[in-house]
Amino acid sequence: MREITYGEALREAMRQAMSNDPRVFLIGEDIGIYGGAFGVTAGLVNEFGEERVIDTPISEAAITGAVIGASLAGMRPIGEIQFMDFVTLSMEQLVLQAAKIRYMFGGNATVPMVLRMPGGSGTGAAAQHSESLENWFVHVPGLKVVMPSNPYDAKGLLLAALDDPNPVIFIEHKLLYKTKGPVPEEMYRVPLSQTKIAREGKHVTVIATSIMVGRSLEAAEKLKAEGIELEVVDPRTLNPLDEKPIFESVKKTGRVLIVHEAVGTGGYGGELAARIASSEAFDYLDAPIRRLTGLDVPIPYNRNLERAAVPQVDDIVREARKLAQGAY
Amino acid sequence: MKEVIMPKFGFTQESGELVRWIKQEGEAVKEGDPIAEVTTDKINMEIEAPASGTLSAISAREGDVIPVTQIIAWILKPGEAAPTGAVPSPAPQAASAETPSPAPLAAVLMATPVAQRAAQDLGVDLQKVRGSGAGGRITREDVENFANSQPSPALPDPRERATPAARRVAREENIGLGDVAGSGPHGRVQAGDVLAAASSAKQAAAPAQKPSAQTEDAFTALPMNAMRRTIAARLQKSAQDAPHVTFDADVDMSALETLRAELNKSAAKDEPKVSVTALLVKACAWALGRHPRINSQLDVDNNRILLMRAINIGMAVALEDGLIVPVIKDAPNKGLRKLAAEIADLGARAKQNKLKMDELSGGTFTISNLGMHEIDRFTAIINPPECAILAVGRAAQKFVPDAEGKPVARPIATLRLSADHRVIDGAVAALFMKDLRKAIENPGVMLS
Repeated sequence: MREITYGEALREAMRQAMSNDPRVFLIGEDIGIYGGAFGVTAGLVNEFGEERVIDTPISEAAITGAVIGASLAGMRPIGEIQFMDFVTLSMEQLVLQAAKIRYMFGGNATVPMVLRMPGGSGTGAAAQHSESLENWFVHVPGLKVVMPSNPYDAKGLLLAALDDPNPVIFIEHKLLYKTKGPVPEEMYRVPLSQTKIAREGKHVTVIATSIMVGRSLEAAEKLKAEGIELEVVDPRTLNPLDEKPIFESVKKTGRVLIVHEAVGTGGYGGELAARIASSEAFDYLDAPIRRLTGLDVPIPYNRNLERAAVPQVDDIVREARKLAQGAY
Repeated sequence: MKEVIMPKFGFTQESGELVRWIKQEGEAVKEGDPIAEVTTDKINMEIEAPASGTLSAISAREGDVIPVTQIIAWILKPGEAAPTGAVPSPAPQAASAETPSPAPLAAVLMATPVAQRAAQDLGVDLQKVRGSGAGGRITREDVENFANSQPSPALPDPRERATPAARRVAREENIGLGDVAGSGPHGRVQAGDVLAAASSAKQAAAPAQKPSAQTEDAFTALPMNAMRRTIAARLQKSAQDAPHVTFDADVDMSALETLRAELNKSAAKDEPKVSVTALLVKACAWALGRHPRINSQLDVDNNRILLMRAINIGMAVALEDGLIVPVIKDAPNKGLRKLAAEIADLGARAKQNKLKMDELSGGTFTISNLGMHEIDRFTAIINPPECAILAVGRAAQKFVPDAEGKPVARPIATLRLSADHRVIDGAVAALFMKDLRKAIENPGVMLS
């Protein structure tokens, strides 16, 4: 199968969706002529015109409101927030409107929108352009939260998100845009709320999201030489979560390491740990559930400190090894 | 209407096994009539009817092990019916025994209301708390400090630190976590530890649980009753925990025989006869007094050896199916006739299951005698928590050289001491046996 990048896979998904469905359009900052801050929408304005690839001023609340209104009016909009950090400006629109409208109108209106945004650190963009805020949305019933970790899932999940009648927060990762992977050319869907076992193993279950999936797979490869087999689990959709494969994996290994880039306090790892500890998998835990997360600090500008603030491959290797060897 | 409960005979007794109902459902009973027989891990006892009436609503079957104070039947007067749903039910006595009694009035007056509330919440006995407030009044802080200074009963046994997976495997394999050595951090028990323990337990049990024949008609199965289970558990523990070391002495019994005959010849008609056993107990008591290390107990938890002040000698008594060890208290201070009478009485009542709890406890040394069954010598297993036991063989006529080297026939018995080597070293045991021999072969030394 041909290999393309995560960014190209997303662009292909949008192009195919727009070709296939006249209701689909894009709206965001610098997504037209400039092609988006990370080049994801490059060239689409030439194919589909400025009416379907709409450049906006710096106005996140307006982008989000426009997307919600268009979806209520029957369109299938894809909004882009240039950096996830600035979705903070869209919170009223997302939390009080997008998430609530279907409920408030007794199911007579739906909000079939997708809001794309890149999160994460690693580009030297400092504390105001490196946030990982996924758990803010996980906390809001009515929003779906998707975090693809590879090009194949990026395309399949974006197309599935477009089909969904509910608002979907689609969180990409800046460092993943240039990573390559096999992606089919046809339009395929990766269903929402389907947890994936990214690698099978028997000693430790590593539950990772977004860029941490790839880092965990690298760690698994390194630990294989030591005879430690990691099972890497990628939830892909954070909410609603497909729990069953996670519980089954924990029942198999008895040891859990949760890895995410967002800070630990109030993070998604706590939710995962609580669900595991309350599930039938509890009786199979042979060690405390461990979390490896971003430190509770703003992302530093300094490169070394920026690296140190979030889990790296060596950190995962070290934690998983200790867990497997019974140090906890 | 009066409930019949499983009685509590001993301080530490938690349950009793119902051996049989002497009276049956619907039978009329008089207050004080024996209505059932129960057995604890030490003794068989009869339950007496607590009132006159009809024995009804029996809820315990023969062979059931029942927590003490639980209701097992009712005695009803004519026209009464047993409470519905009360079978089986915890006895009211059990509840009242567990509920902390309200603080005495004097203490209440000396404690502030919040202190009283705190005492209730924390289960603190106000009488034990020293007050620091005005006029010695007990404050909440006093109560909390007192509670914090007490060892918390809620703290789990450190050996029971175990992962959820270990607990599940322990449930599935029916293994007690306390018996599993933990390999995790701070000795926490891991699932693998339980599995390893389970598989070694299965291996160990395999030959016992799988007799050569598999079919039920190939053998007669005897139930392990409470006494048999106690014997099994105690002796297995002793054999495993205490490194047994044995010391033999072939002792000339003729002096003891002569003394016995003389004492009995001179005895008045109504005086009890002195027995060789009484003389042996006396000799042991004398030697134990000179060698307190043999009369000791090991306090493993506190890393110390307890030299027992009392010398209480247990006598192993064989029952039809079992073994019981009544204890002769304070043997050094009892005369030979009293000892002989006591030994005879305890032996007889042991065989009728009529011993009281305190006649079975408090032993510091045990004598086991199989001479009457023509056993020459044998090794006895120490009766914990004691540290030594004397096994007495028969006194058989043997030729031994006399003072001039000529063979003379003498009654010679082999005494074999089993000692716990953790506490008693070889030379210590040898010196005890040397004195014991002296006391038997020349009883006069006991007067010195």
